[in-house]
Amino acid sequence: MELLTNGVGLSVVVFFPLISAFIITLIPKAQEQLIKGFALVSSLITFVLSAVLLFQFDFSSADKLQLGNKISWIKSINANYEIGIDGISLPLLVLSTFITVLAIIYSIEHLPEPKSPKGFLALILVLETGMNGTFVALDLILFFVFFEIVLLPMYFMIGIWGDKTVRTVSGFKNQIETRLYASIKFFVFTLFGSAFMLLGFLGLYYRGNKTFSIPELIELGTSGAFTGTFATLVFAVLFLGFAVKVPMWPLHTWLPDAHTAAPTVGSVLLAAILLKLGSYGFVRIAIPILPEQAKAWAPAIAILSAIGIIYGSLACLAQTDLKRLIAFSSVGHMGFVMLGIASLTPIGINAAMIGMVAHGVITGLLFFLSGSMAHTYHTRDMGRLGGNMKLLPKTGALLGFTAMASLGLPGLAGFWGEFMALLGAYNPLDGLNITVFRTSMVAGAIGTVLTAGYLLWMLQRVNLGEPSDEWIDKDLHDADIYELSAWIPLVVLTVLIGVFPKLIFGATNDAVIAMLSKAFGG
Amino acid sequence: MILPRKSKYYVAAFALLGTLFSLAPLVIQWANYTSPIYAFENSFVVDKFSIILKGLFILITYLTFLLSINFIESDKYYQGEYYYLLLSSLLGALIVSSSRDLLTIFIGIELASTPMFLLSGWKKGDRKSNEGAIKFFLLGVLSASLILYGFSLLYGLSGKLVFSEISSHLLSASLANSPVVLLSAILVISGIGFKISVVPFHSWAPDTYEGAPLPVTAYLSVSSKATGFVALIILLTKVFAGSGSSWGIILVIISGLTMTLGNLVALQQNNPVRLLAYSSISQAGFILAPIAISGITGDYQDGIFASVTYLIIYAFMNLGAFLSVHLFSNYAGSTNFYEWGGVARKSPLAGVLTTVFFFSLAGIPPLGGWFAKFVVFRSLLGSANSIGIALGVVGAINAVIALVYYARISKVIWMDEPKSINEEKIFQFENPLKVVGVFTVLITFVSGIFPGIFSYLGEVSSIFFGN
Repeated sequence: MELLTNGVGLSVVVFFPLISAFIITLIPKAQEQLIKGFALVSSLITFVLSAVLLFQFDFSSADKLQLGNKISWIKSINANYEIGIDGISLPLLVLSTFITVLAIIYSIEHLPEPKSPKGFLALILVLETGMNGTFVALDLILFFVFFEIVLLPMYFMIGIWGDKTVRTVSGFKNQIETRLYASIKFFVFTLFGSAFMLLGFLGLYYRGNKTFSIPELIELGTSGAFTGTFATLVFAVLFLGFAVKVPMWPLHTWLPDAHTAAPTVGSVLLAAILLKLGSYGFVRIAIPILPEQAKAWAPAIAILSAIGIIYGSLACLAQTDLKRLIAFSSVGHMGFVMLGIASLTPIGINAAMIGMVAHGVITGLLFFLSGSMAHTYHTRDMGRLGGNMKLLPKTGALLGFTAMASLGLPGLAGFWGEFMALLGAYNPLDGLNITVFRTSMVAGAIGTVLTAGYLLWMLQRVNLGEPSDEWIDKDLHDADIYELSAWIPLVVLTVLIGVFPKLIFGATNDAVIAMLSKAFGG
Repeated sequence: MILPRKSKYYVAAFALLGTLFSLAPLVIQWANYTSPIYAFENSFVVDKFSIILKGLFILITYLTFLLSINFIESDKYYQGEYYYLLLSSLLGALIVSSSRDLLTIFIGIELASTPMFLLSGWKKGDRKSNEGAIKFFLLGVLSASLILYGFSLLYGLSGKLVFSEISSHLLSASLANSPVVLLSAILVISGIGFKISVVPFHSWAPDTYEGAPLPVTAYLSVSSKATGFVALIILLTKVFAGSGSSWGIILVIISGLTMTLGNLVALQQNNPVRLLAYSSISQAGFILAPIAISGITGDYQDGIFASVTYLIIYAFMNLGAFLSVHLFSNYAGSTNFYEWGGVARKSPLAGVLTTVFFFSLAGIPPLGGWFAKFVVFRSLLGSANSIGIALGVVGAINAVIALVYYARISKVIWMDEPKSINEEKIFQFENPLKVVGVFTVLITFVSGIFPGIFSYLGEVSSIFFGN
């Protein structure tokens, strides 16, 4: 067990998928079954190992970084291979390995065109390394590298396996395929944010005794090493880097395009994990290292989050495309997460943590369902869909359930994040502008109503009613065993987290309180 | 050259072996290294800095030979002369990296670039090749005369040739910031500016790159550029170190303009070679940035470390990028890369290599390019100087712009509809080229994942600056 606790276990969780991806590229293309089986087994091994780590993790001291290690990596710049997990990163790490398994199960029978499982599965595994690595990295440079590693696989997933519909984009002379436009837009937006984020990291490095270590920088930051214009600028660039990824309004415009264009599994991973890299960055890096700046920026973040919630919901009401609707709903849900973070209170940040996990599970499932339906009906136009309950009873029932979870029905996972984020905003950290936060809270509350509105409206148009004539004689396949085995675990998880939110809070609560009391005292 | 035509085959083998063999003394020197060795009355030095650069130059030339073998054999080119000229250029580069006086460095610079005038016009029947070679030649002569004029001013002032004596003379006579010395510095920067193709001395590069045979272009954009940078670093830090604040500002402006202009023009290109030409102009801006800022702050050690690290990583990924262009333009028979739709499916190996090299040029982790960009940003922000930070912001914006055109090639070969794919046509990927591909891709990955191997450069640049 020594091996599991001294960092080797975590390293394997991070790099095993990468090694597997490399092995997959060596398997001849014709051996499709072998490729699929190998990818599934390796993602399962990664998941099981992360579950084993769950048992090694000492929950009674969840506020401490555990199971990690620190070894020298780039000596000349004092960047280290420093890893570890605490209660904040643990749920996200397990979520990431878990969703990857489901994504691979789904891909076994439902590969988007052009099939080529070899490339697709290898990219998913590379992506997993980037995601897991970001959650365990405790060194800014290591974090940056993993944060960026996810870009390439996602770029190719959208670009190669994405939606081929030709559309006109304002500003482009010629018509362009959705996938091509969306993939480069995703890449450029994120790189723009992270290029500046890197400058911010370097700023911290030079002011902070030339260290990139996050725990050391937190010590320095809470003892007041970063102040004045310098700290404001650094927080601004970190904000830029993370907010693009979340995405916060008004930096969100890449998201609807990327989600709509991405293949089903791509959307799932994007929504479930990739967006969390941004909000995780706020909780792990920006707030603890620059607490005073976080306090100064919190009202602005709250206002942007509130705008995001309202804007996302209104945009959903205007959609005709099922997948695009779910994409915009992510803007709204991540708005709740950011509102919780902005309150800088234990309740708000706990809400953000459970909100992240719940959004990953629920929206991931929604993208699975909508992707599968788009595949069956060959359209995502809600005007043409209808009577889904009668045509595809299993998928329809799941869609109904997930929509309820997404709108925050008490008893399901989505409820806690929204409700507690509003509570946090009602009573933010001492010294924050109460008016701003209460206004944001009211806006958020209106947002929950709008959220319920567009989701029920979506259900009404898609699930209920009589099927239109165009589908009557078509041979439509309902969910098969691969789909169900990818979806049911998410349903179970939605209920479990809804009924026992302690599953998440048990890990996060101590860590969040410790982080906040270190940053803001008492 | 003296071999009969029949046995021209041996020429390539001999050149390859000879180049590889010349690495041996370097390894021995490295292993037995104790302190810098001076020769010829302090005008020639063997220190760790020069050993590393020599190793780099020899490896680049070796890889260029591998790139050239099939290319040269496929046509009725003069093989013996081709290898002879490249080796002469290599000798020039090797001299530059050890030189410590005005004459030696001038001979080195010119010996490195003169053979390239001939090589860039190697495709005799091709008008573009002729045009490029003439432009290159005329500007090359101009640049040589500028450098020489700058040197003559220095010699006139101090009456010395050896760098250490000149700089101590300038310091003792407090001439370091006199107009004459500044004029001399500007002349030298302009002259070498042509060699490293920075704005506004870059105009020859795209035409010459396009006209020259592809392996020669690769060599030009990597080795010639590196030679120029090494000469510039040596001159600025060994001779003009005292007037750093003046030339620092000039170089900061040049560097910012170079990255921006190179990038913006590269966005418009559809010819992959011209795209790489402009991209290499933009990259030169990044390599220049740390030297520029070190002039202002006086922290030459950090500047040299960043620039040389960038140069080394850049050399291999750029050679790889030229290899990819060579492979695909050969297969598709087109020099417009928009017509390469879907060709990666024909050879996934070549497709993956191309993706790696171009995204490494764009600076995406975990490929080597990210560390190159990172050390540049690090030295810019580490200057704690508002000019340095401003240049860092310009660099960050440029890094994002550059992604658009670097990603475009991968987009075309992987994502576009395969129109030009001919099922019958075989994708040519000869073994020597595979060696180049695998070697450069390995270096690109290793330097990105374990950048620690560059740590010794920090120590090396301190030795360089200490003597």
